Amino acid sequence: MGGFIAAFLLPVLIYLVGIAYPLGLWPVANGDPTSAILNHHHIGTLFLFVTVAGSLYHGIFRFQSTLTEIGLARAKRALEAIGYLMIIIGILATAIYLLQYNPSFFSLP
Amino acid sequence: MIREWTSFFVAVFSLIYIYELSLFASGAKDSALALMRNPGIIAFNVLALLFTLYHASTWFYLIGKVQPIKLGKTASKPWQALLINIVLLLIISYAVIQILILR
Repeated sequence: MGGFIAAFLLPVLIYLVGIAYPLGLWPVANGDPTSAILNHHHIGTLFLFVTVAGSLYHGIFRFQSTLTEIGLARAKRALEAIGYLMIIIGILATAIYLLQYNPSFFSLP
Repeated sequence: MIREWTSFFVAVFSLIYIYELSLFASGAKDSALALMRNPGIIAFNVLALLFTLYHASTWFYLIGKVQPIKLGKTASKPWQALLINIVLLLIISYAVIQILILR
C-alpha cells in the first residue's frame, strides 16, 4: 500500500510544495500549496496524511531493507527497530500536526 | 539496486515535509515557507521528484512482468502495464491539482 501511495500520490505533492511553489510555477504561482490543500479541510487533510504517512512507511521500510542487503545484515534487528520507531513517530507526528491545524477534522462537514 | 536506493529520497522528503507541517501547526508559517524556498531544499526536491518517478516507473514495469493480464491466448506485456500506469499517474496528479489547488 505504501508503494502504491508513493508511486501515485507523492510525485504531485513533491512537485507542488517542493518545486512549483518556490520557483513560482503552475499551478501555485500566487500562494503556498500546503495552505491551499489544508483549506479544503477534510479531503485536503486526508490527502496529506495518507500521502505523507504512506510514503514515510514505504521509504523507510525499503531503505532499511536495502541497508541489510548491502552488508549490514548483522545489524538487521537494530535497523528494523530504528526504522519502525521512525515510522511510528513520523505517522503519529503527522496526525498530530494536521489535527492541530484542523482541530475540527472529525466533525461532520 | 538503484531502484532500492531511490527510496532514501522518498523517506527524506517525507521527513522534511513532516517538519514543515510542524511549523505550520505551531503558527510559524513564514519559517515553513522560507524552508521550502531554500536553494538546497529545492535542489533536493528536484532530485527527489526524479527518483520518485524512476521508483514508480520501475514498479509499474515490474507489475506487468510479475502479474501479466491474460486476454484469451495472449498476455499483456510489461511495457503496456508501464504505459497504462503512467497515464493513471498523470490523471491522478491532475485530479489532485484540480480538486485541491485550482478549485
